[in-house]
Amino acid sequence: MEKWGYFQSPGGNHPLTTLDPALDLVDPDRLSRFRYGVVTWIGEDGFPFSVATDFLLSENGEILLKKPSTSPPMTDRRVGVLFNHITGIPTGGYTDRRYMLVWGKVSDDKGFLKLHPEEISEWDEKILPFDKLCAAAVPQGKKYLESLQPSIDA
Amino acid sequence: MQAPSWVRDVFENYLICEFTSIDNGKPVTFPLLFFYNHDPSRFTVTSSILFSRKIEHMKKNPKVSLLFSNPEGSGVEKHTILVQGIAKIQDSDLDHGWERYLPMWRKKEPYIDGFLSAREQFAWFWKRIVVEVEPEKILAWKNGDTSKAPEAITL
Repeated sequence: MEKWGYFQSPGGNHPLTTLDPALDLVDPDRLSRFRYGVVTWIGEDGFPFSVATDFLLSENGEILLKKPSTSPPMTDRRVGVLFNHITGIPTGGYTDRRYMLVWGKVSDDKGFLKLHPEEISEWDEKILPFDKLCAAAVPQGKKYLESLQPSIDA
Repeated sequence: MQAPSWVRDVFENYLICEFTSIDNGKPVTFPLLFFYNHDPSRFTVTSSILFSRKIEHMKKNPKVSLLFSNPEGSGVEKHTILVQGIAKIQDSDLDHGWERYLPMWRKKEPYIDGFLSAREQFAWFWKRIVVEVEPEKILAWKNGDTSKAPEAITL
């Protein structure tokens, strides 16, 4: 992926797997380590539509997505963009899991789609190991089990 | 009509897909391990109750998509395929319902038995929901060139 300019990591410890409306949550240094993005929107038929596309980072940290051929008019459309990475293991499987999911609206910008981030959810197993991620997710597991309780009691 | 071999290669060899559910009109996409069954054509993912928000989304809106765009670790060439379909949730047997997919899981992640041996330690990770997706529409970009129009695929 081509990269414009140089980015210095802000060095902040952003909370992972959280949502925050602050625009500066997208760390360009971390984002620049991904090779491409998966843009997803909801189509007229109600199904999600995803397409993979390259992206660039401007000197100002703007996320510029290459326009996929299949994209509908996108101005002011809310999309989710997943940046994902795994490293294959020669003996099978993968490691080095990390992803960044950014939601926001897009606008046309010099032939690209400029993403205006509104929310972010991200995980990097080198920052938050998987067992700690599991521990942090226990409330969601408890909630799901409780939601099943009526059918178990019936 | 049978899908082209390069499409079957992707379904049979890619390790992960980018799976999207819908949360009140918002697409929520995560990378997930998937399993493919060709007869009948079904895509399956499993989810721990720990990461079950996507399941809650699908119970409200079963329309989902799976994008296959990352050939890493699969040994096959890069192609990009989008599958849109209807998700069916199976959560009546969280402890054992998913185990029928273990042979396919083991093939993709040979080290999974190490985690299984620590099943007591990660008890809630192994309480798993099965999501079976029946495809409704498939679009494919050979060689991953999404600047070109996709090819409609029938399985």
